[in-house]
Amino acid sequence: MSGQTRDWAGRLHLPTVGVATAVLVVWSLLSWRYGAYVLPAPSAVVSGFVEILRSGEIWTHTAASLSRILVGFGGAVLVAVFLALAAFVSRLARGVVHDLLAVLNSTSVFVWIVISLIWFGLSHWAPIFTTFMITLPVVASNLVEGVASVDRRLLEMGDVYRLGSREKFTSIVIPSTLPYLVAGMKVGFGLALKVSVVAEIFGVTSGIGYIMNYSREILATQMVFVWALVMILIMLLTEKLVFDTANRRLQRWR
Amino acid sequence: MAVKLRVSGVGKDYLIPVIQEVSFGVEAGEFVCLLGPNGCGKTTLLRILGGIEPATRGTVLLDGRPVVADERHERKVGMVFQEDRLLPWLSLRDNVALVLKPLGLPREERHVRAMQHLRIAGLRGFEDYYPGRVSGGMRQRAAIARALAIEPDVLLMDEPFGALDAQNRRIMQDEVRRIWAETARTIVFVTHSIEEAAAVGTTLIMLTARPARIRELIRNDHTVDRAKLVDDLNTMIMEEVHAQQGDIR
Repeated sequence: MSGQTRDWAGRLHLPTVGVATAVLVVWSLLSWRYGAYVLPAPSAVVSGFVEILRSGEIWTHTAASLSRILVGFGGAVLVAVFLALAAFVSRLARGVVHDLLAVLNSTSVFVWIVISLIWFGLSHWAPIFTTFMITLPVVASNLVEGVASVDRRLLEMGDVYRLGSREKFTSIVIPSTLPYLVAGMKVGFGLALKVSVVAEIFGVTSGIGYIMNYSREILATQMVFVWALVMILIMLLTEKLVFDTANRRLQRWR
Repeated sequence: MAVKLRVSGVGKDYLIPVIQEVSFGVEAGEFVCLLGPNGCGKTTLLRILGGIEPATRGTVLLDGRPVVADERHERKVGMVFQEDRLLPWLSLRDNVALVLKPLGLPREERHVRAMQHLRIAGLRGFEDYYPGRVSGGMRQRAAIARALAIEPDVLLMDEPFGALDAQNRRIMQDEVRRIWAETARTIVFVTHSIEEAAAVGTTLIMLTARPARIRELIRNDHTVDRAKLVDDLNTMIMEEVHAQQGDIR
């Protein structure tokens, strides 16, 4: 019986549950002390969540944000694959890609938001472009590292057995690099979600970033919390469902 | 018997001469062991024979056709490296089947041949295992199966059991000797262990200290006194080790 109890406790992370309960209690007290505008009560957040679920509003804004992420982040993944390929086949390109990524990596999110507002105006291309520019170096750096870490001794084995370049690429290079791609995409997707939402504050009329800012303007603070909760859920779900599954598939042989 | 491999005046320089001049012939079905002090260029010589590295001078003929590094060629060289060099994401069977693709065999036949050679190497029942799930000795067996599966003109082995423990090493020496007897392949085997060379080889080639030349070529058949052979080779190798150290000083 005690074993079963421990099992349950382990699954629920009992200490985490304790801390969460404490946070909720303190949150409620603070909310009662400072008022719903500054800090809405947990119950208000829950009912707000139920409300957007019931109205279907949750899906419109989530879909709007995710579709922008899909275009910007998807584009970044494609370009990153291209850069990694170039770095793999040419030593010259490797140096250029390396320097390019160093510059992109040190550029702030805000720079891209401002520039994209200038270039694309108040349109959904602003969050898309910002997401693209921010996630590109993250995914590409991982991929380039993955390509560089391909075991030369395995490639030499391929040469001895006269495998063609195509065969070596599909049997040796791709399988060694895929885990790096998945790792890069996992970090990149998290970043994409955070960044695109910020860019959505400007100029668009849909998406999680827009609706959070709108909720603030109409003084519906509890909805700011609700949409923050939606973001957290999206993040956790994709991490568990998409990336962890992909990793498990890829690492089957370990 | 026909000469399978003809090595004529082969030499290799990196910054300094590593191999000065080596010439020998290997007959079909022979089991040649290359011996010598550490760092004398045994592995380099084997890589030249396999066409992985170009020689600075001299020629290597396999069945009368020159072996030239970095060139598409028709010869079939099976190679077993110090490490297994199996692809960890492929099962043992797929690892073997992979190197059969360039031979133009249909999928079904690749599969059958892979199974057959894994069996010869003593891996029956482990065909579907990933390399990470079997022992180091079994991985090296799979590497041998891979090399045999292409039905190589010559099988090159570069200290293939160096990473194994003493017990596994003994077992694998017996195994490779059995496989050699069963398949009648021509083998060139690099080792730094005199006992290993005396146990498996039919011809032992002792190289000098760097830059390498052939010091002694010994036939190792059943008429040879094994204990005396090992003693003599030990004496020779120590002389070469001292020569090499003297050279460094």
